[in-house]
Amino acid sequence: MTPDSKNLSDDVTRQQAEAETPRRKTSILVLDDEPIVCKRLKPFFQKAGYEVEAFNQPLDALARIQARRFDVVITDLKMEGLDGLSFLGKVKELHPDTDVILITGFATMETARQSFRKGVFDCVAKPFKLAELLDGVKRIEKERGLAS
Amino acid sequence: MKSFHFSDMLVRAGSALASKLRGRPPVPFSVLYKKFKGILERHNAILELIGDMGDKLGGDYVYDRQYIFDSCEKLGDQVFKLISDLNLLCQGKNVALFAAFERIQTRIRAELAGQRVLSRTDHILPLSELTHDLADEGGNKMASLGDIRNILGFPTPQGFVITAGAYFEAMERAGLRKAVADAVRELCDSDGAHLAETAESLRQAVLDMPLPRELSRSIERATERLTERCVNPDGSSPLLAVRSSAWDEDGESSFAGMYETELGVVGTDILAAYRKVLASMFCEEALRYRLHHGLCHEEPAMAVGVMPMVDALVSGGLYTYAPLSDQDQAMVVSAAWGLGKPIVDGTAETDTYILLREPPHKLVSADVAEKTTRLALRENGGTETEPVPEAERGAPCLSPTQLSFLAKTAMTLEHFFKRPLDVEWALTPGGSLVVLQARPLSIRPAEGCERDGDAAEAAKGARVLLSGRGVTAMGGVSAGPVHLVTGDEDPADFPYGAVLVARHSSPRFAKVMPKCRGIITDVGSATGHMATIARELRVPTLVQTGSATRTLSEGQEITLDADHQVVYEGRVEALCRFELVREDVFEESWEYRTLKRVLKHVSPLTLLDPKSEGFTPESCRTYHDIARYVHQRSVDKLTALAETHKEIRRGAARRLATRLPLGLTVIDVEGGLSPAAAENAGSEPTEADILCRPFKALLDGMNAPGMWDTNPVAVDMGSFMSSVTRTLGTEASHPSRMGRNLAVFSREYLNLHLRLGYHFTVVDAFIGGAMNDNSIAFRFMGGVTDLARRSRRAGLVAVILERSDFLVETKGDLVTARIKKHPTRIMLDKMFLLGGLIGFTRQLDAKLDTDGDVELHRNIFLQRIAALRETRE
Repeated sequence: MTPDSKNLSDDVTRQQAEAETPRRKTSILVLDDEPIVCKRLKPFFQKAGYEVEAFNQPLDALARIQARRFDVVITDLKMEGLDGLSFLGKVKELHPDTDVILITGFATMETARQSFRKGVFDCVAKPFKLAELLDGVKRIEKERGLAS
Repeated sequence: MKSFHFSDMLVRAGSALASKLRGRPPVPFSVLYKKFKGILERHNAILELIGDMGDKLGGDYVYDRQYIFDSCEKLGDQVFKLISDLNLLCQGKNVALFAAFERIQTRIRAELAGQRVLSRTDHILPLSELTHDLADEGGNKMASLGDIRNILGFPTPQGFVITAGAYFEAMERAGLRKAVADAVRELCDSDGAHLAETAESLRQAVLDMPLPRELSRSIERATERLTERCVNPDGSSPLLAVRSSAWDEDGESSFAGMYETELGVVGTDILAAYRKVLASMFCEEALRYRLHHGLCHEEPAMAVGVMPMVDALVSGGLYTYAPLSDQDQAMVVSAAWGLGKPIVDGTAETDTYILLREPPHKLVSADVAEKTTRLALRENGGTETEPVPEAERGAPCLSPTQLSFLAKTAMTLEHFFKRPLDVEWALTPGGSLVVLQARPLSIRPAEGCERDGDAAEAAKGARVLLSGRGVTAMGGVSAGPVHLVTGDEDPADFPYGAVLVARHSSPRFAKVMPKCRGIITDVGSATGHMATIARELRVPTLVQTGSATRTLSEGQEITLDADHQVVYEGRVEALCRFELVREDVFEESWEYRTLKRVLKHVSPLTLLDPKSEGFTPESCRTYHDIARYVHQRSVDKLTALAETHKEIRRGAARRLATRLPLGLTVIDVEGGLSPAAAENAGSEPTEADILCRPFKALLDGMNAPGMWDTNPVAVDMGSFMSSVTRTLGTEASHPSRMGRNLAVFSREYLNLHLRLGYHFTVVDAFIGGAMNDNSIAFRFMGGVTDLARRSRRAGLVAVILERSDFLVETKGDLVTARIKKHPTRIMLDKMFLLGGLIGFTRQLDAKLDTDGDVELHRNIFLQRIAALRETRE
């Protein structure tokens, strides 16, 4: 996916964000129906200098990505209501240049592999180290030229 | 109970096998041997799983409840199979061991199901046993007080908690549990219609509620015991403070001040006071708060703390964080004569002191008020306001020393709870400080809340001293001056508020942990002994950084961000503040607390001494105990086989030709002997044939100059040894006794039973695989002299091992020491030291006439071993 293929609304969001703060932070949306995961990831990434929104309910997260674009989406694969792959599909449909990191259990690692075909950037298996995830996000920043 | 039938089946299968075996040729040794090796492997796999679970408490990992369920299941399965393996090896039934397994498994399942595993049924928990792990039983407020007393070691009043479980039972029996739920739901649905009436009727119902007989009896009994224990100097019974400690109080939602606390309660009025505190949960204010804070669906629960009133000379409060217009880094103390209630209520004139948060907590200002009255205890119950003597009215309540001590105490609490705190305290007439309660401060540092992303910005300006290296053993952020700790230092000298930096992690740092703000080591493991203690005390800890002792210098101010594995130069205030404004403290989450509680049934090793009477299946309290027991029994079995099994006597067990007269039989499980020696079953292998790494290092230590041969002057070994054996007497030196000198080993594993004279040493070591598998267990006992001398020698051994970073326990003349998860090179060095120590102390107790001799010989040993290590390197 090249930067040229960004859609218009996306550019507007970006410009707005840039107008608000001199140096735009990389934005991350976290979706996991286990509250503990959100509670851990949000402050961790905030402290590392990211803009973070975290959701326990897939539908809330869905509404949010319809309203705005995030640079990175980190989502659990197995959730009640809407699974991670469908969410991933939605994200990619709305914002093709948003990169997605999938959180999986060991048992679902096979599904995760399939998801790479759907354009997933990376997979991490639970339980995972915070540093691993930060690593993934940093690689996305590097590839997209987002890192400051 | 699926597994029970399964276990039954296996027991039957085991005994069938055993009966089949009777009267038949013995099982080939190679088969038993394979089983033994299988046990060793499974044993290691279990320890690794246990270690992995412990790892997850460190703050490095993100895990969810599914992880906890899965790993408990997996571990239980492995432990079950380990017991079955032992059954096959010993051809026995081990019913008691399966029973122990079932017991532990049931407890773990109950923890996971959210049921509390209480050893008592009377719903009373003494404060001395309470910590945050029991926050659901004791409520937040009392659990915090338990942490302060039992983990951090600060004085608090004695007392007990009437648990949340007691509340549920009382409400249930009175038919009120459902009534409350219905009433609250109705309130929520109607958006608070008839709030006042509902509150009043619920409150009254609780006040009139009959308490179950057993409950009221055990409350009364506990109260009697407490008042007897804390009787006043004049012989009168102490008055009591009865405090609310609800589930959601002092946590994420505050309810601060809405629930009742009854002060000055006479012991005989305890039940009325209990009901009053329970009823306060349904006061109008609290119900409204519940309604407006989305707590409609959470069932309220109230534990109640009962403590003797502290007859306070001075009382007060302390806010650890009080951002003022001109001083952002301040804490504020209010203090007045007498009891604290009017201070908390804000009705009394108080002295106000402002101090800096940073050590040494400089006093910024002292505003001394004219204090005309004070609240005092009335002899026959209750409290009364009385005039303060003229001379004391304008005098400051606290001296600079007292203020400084108070500030240090409060900041230590803040570091533990990771939040700004409101601390209630009292000074007794004897001058000692007692912490009455500590709760999160509802006012949080304003700046931090507005710009939570700023931590990263602020940190960007700071110079990074260390980054990207190291493993988080306990997460968190803290700042302070570096204090480098070397091997010889007395931990008592550790400066308050410093960050401990050391080459190796060591459990002896436990003693300084309450004083230190953080720990950084060059070498160490996130699941080692020290890390476990650091987590208990919540000290941010980074291990395995490689070079911290070289990069950081003594006295240098640093900020440690253990979550991100970064060390900054100077104090990065924004980072420290970020830590304080977090909404959720990981350590208070369900996942953290549950895993920690589960691990209590999993990882502690309580079966330490295989020679003690308590080393039985019945005494196994954790999965680790079972693994230890099975491991020991399988080694015993192999040892017994070495003496009885025809095949072994012919082949596998062989005498080792050593320079030292060890009288040692060896069994090589795999790869522990050179191929030449291994193939030539008839020969006596020599020390040169030993490939077993831990054993080789141990022998090197024994053979090193100045160790076995304690005389610095070389003597003729033959004559020296004959004099030694002569002193042993015929029985002790009889081959059947000496024959117990046995080493079972592979390339990485060693199990050594060594009787030298009257000293008996057991070493069990695994070294050379993955770092996390490395472990040494050492046991040392006996001697020919009186107990005083033997104990001196045990003391000598203990001190030396503690210095060398072992976790040491001493009982009389028995020393047990353990060390694990250091890199192979270091572990082999420990084996070398053990070898030297076994040799050096062999005859020493005869020379230990006084305690001074202990120090002398300790220094001799340490000097020699240091010199030897230098030449080895």
